Amino acid sequence: MSRKLLEVDNLQVGISDDGVRTPIVNGISFQLNKGETLGIVGESGCGKSMTSLSLMGLLPPGVEWQDGDIHLHNLHFKDFKKKDWRKTRGKKLSMIFQEPMSSLNPVYPIGKQIIEMILNHEKISKKQARQRALQMLQLVGIPRPEQVLDEYPHQLSGGMRQRVMIAIALSCNPEILIADEPTTALDVTIQAQILELMKKLQVQMDMSIILITHDLGVVAEMCDRVIVMYAGEIIEESTIVELFDNPKHPYTKGLLESLPDINEQKEYLSSIPGMVPAPGDMPKGCRFAPRCSRVHDRCSQQPPLVTTESGSKVQCWLFED
Amino acid sequence: MHKQEELLRVENIKKYFPIKGGVFGNKTVQYVKAVDGISFTVNQGETFGIVGESGCGKSTAGRTIMRMLEPTEGTVYFQGQDITKLANDDMRKLRKDIQIVFQDPFASLNPRMRVYKIIEEPLINFGVTDQAERHRRVLEVADQVGISQAQLKRLPHEFSGGQRQRIGIARALISKPKLIIADEPVSALDVSIQSQVLNLMKDLQKEFGLTYIFISHDLSVVKHFCDRIGVMYLGKMVEISAKDDLYDDPKHPYAKALLSALPKAHPLQEKERIMLTGDVPSPSNPPSGCTFHPRCPSCMDACKTVEPILQPIGQNHIVSCHLYTAEEAKSR
Ligand SMILES: Nc1ncnc2c1ncn2[C@@H]1O[C@H](COP(=O)(O)OP(=O)(O)OP(=O)(O)O)[C@@H](O)[C@H]1O
Ligand SMILES: Nc1ncnc2c1ncn2[C@@H]1O[C@H](COP(=O)(O)OP(=O)(O)OP(=O)(O)O)[C@@H](O)[C@H]1O
Ligand SMILES: [Mg+2]
Ligand SMILES: [Mg+2]
Repeated sequence: MSRKLLEVDNLQVGISDDGVRTPIVNGISFQLNKGETLGIVGESGCGKSMTSLSLMGLLPPGVEWQDGDIHLHNLHFKDFKKKDWRKTRGKKLSMIFQEPMSSLNPVYPIGKQIIEMILNHEKISKKQARQRALQMLQLVGIPRPEQVLDEYPHQLSGGMRQRVMIAIALSCNPEILIADEPTTALDVTIQAQILELMKKLQVQMDMSIILITHDLGVVAEMCDRVIVMYAGEIIEESTIVELFDNPKHPYTKGLLESLPDINEQKEYLSSIPGMVPAPGDMPKGCRFAPRCSRVHDRCSQQPPLVTTESGSKVQCWLFED
Repeated sequence: MHKQEELLRVENIKKYFPIKGGVFGNKTVQYVKAVDGISFTVNQGETFGIVGESGCGKSTAGRTIMRMLEPTEGTVYFQGQDITKLANDDMRKLRKDIQIVFQDPFASLNPRMRVYKIIEEPLINFGVTDQAERHRRVLEVADQVGISQAQLKRLPHEFSGGQRQRIGIARALISKPKLIIADEPVSALDVSIQSQVLNLMKDLQKEFGLTYIFISHDLSVVKHFCDRIGVMYLGKMVEISAKDDLYDDPKHPYAKALLSALPKAHPLQEKERIMLTGDVPSPSNPPSGCTFHPRCPSCMDACKTVEPILQPIGQNHIVSCHLYTAEEAKSR
């Protein structure tokens, strides 16, 4: 059996207005095992980034932790104070963001930003930290690392910036790397390089990865298990092969079928009608029901979370008993 | 197959953007060669795809062809007429035949204008003075793209990404164009919405015999949607071919690498990757010879100094690469 490392237990985050709570992430539970890559997929706005920001203690102002907890070793994130987050961030969990330009500080040289991260967590000299920063840049395959240490983010290409982000995220040897759309802003040839790099470093550093993306091709490439989110909820969880060979939830099926297939020529693509509901305007019962081709009377009730024979989990009435 | 009639012919189009410098910032010190001599034709009713990495000049090419940007050099023939020589007035009239749909459905619509006005505006610009006629056309085109009458009264921010893209398409369609240049029309959309918009575009093409130039960096979408495809690298077309030939048997090393970089379609699929090293070079200072040579796994001596030209390598298939030039072919 795989070893459980991180557990998210009924996490709810959202906004509240005059005491009225509107959840954005609506009570989700999942676990991350040691050494695995877990994918989180779903359409824009379904709560992928809010989930990962909760793990990092970086929820934006106005968005609050409403319920549930996250466990890592003997730590319970729900009770965390600022200083606990500081100790955990970078060291235990580290994150790569979608837009490297917005998370690299434009006014400091690359080297300074990596060194700062290292000195935050480790009692070593500045000189040693600089040495480590140099090694990190080499590790992620930056050409002329010595010079790049003293260069500024705007002097680097998109692919190089993303490598620098990875270097910063990995500089303190985190147990868990959270990558939120790490390659979405990049071209396919550069994307292939970065994904390859992440796989290599995962083995070298014995890391677990949570990979957030809306690209099912990237998921096929990278992940062991996958969580499918829809409108703030987890509607399916399964191994990667099971997800592609035997998707359960009508939404997951719809997503896979909407993809153009490079090996097959069809005149029209299948598509899911309608669009994702907004938080605060959620249908009662199953949130996918208004777009679902297999909708039924009972879908107006909250569907059960069913564990299927194959071990997948699916939140849908079709799989009851 | 029915007879193919040429709608558009692009000949050696260049677009250089000046980089200002010097003491007063008023001297042109260099040029960004965003588009550096591309040629291709597009037939009536077909979809021509343009693919390539970010910054290779796809959008600039699209805009230069329809003279949203003035070409630095080169000629564009639309229905046999040289439109690069047209005076502004005549060009304005021709604009209703060539429309563009932009990538970002959020940025390209005026946020303070009601959807009705947004769709109607091009008709006013093209001098349709009869208001009843305009009204009829707005309702007609809204119906074709799936926007309801009630929705026409709303503002763009009240729409989702996919719906906004429908508005952009309606606006392009209302002047009854012959050619639509679609610049990454689905790149900002989710998979499930992307297929809605692609299906709509296909329906409209059938109904009105539209011709598309479809710009995208998503190779599986391009394969699905296009008939012929041009692969761009650093301002140049390096390979142009019918879709199936390109995907089954790409010739240019860059096209090969690009196709091999596509993520897997299934987790158990085996994939041979051609990993490119190095970054995309700058279009203001392109490498000598073949501009791809510093990243090319098959680089030869000639590639560093001699610029290759596009040459036929099969029916409807042209490539610019020294691997396929006559001498090379003989010695192989
Ligand atoms: N600062 C905020 N205040 C209130 N609501 C927010 C805030 N940021 C995001 N939201 C809302 O929370 C929901 C979930 O957003 P989130 O960023 O997690 O989506 P996502 O799944 O990461 O989408 P994407 O694929 O577009 O990145 C969205 O409906 C969004 O509008
Ligand atoms: N108005 C401009 N002035 C100066 N340089 C420009 C201008 N517009 C584009 N460029 C440059 O021309 C090159 C080609 O840009 P273009 O937008 O055509 O690329 P693209 O292939 O459409 O890329 P993407 O996939 O990112 O949209 C880039 O190097 C860009 O920085
Ligand atoms: Mg996000
Ligand atoms: Mg572009």
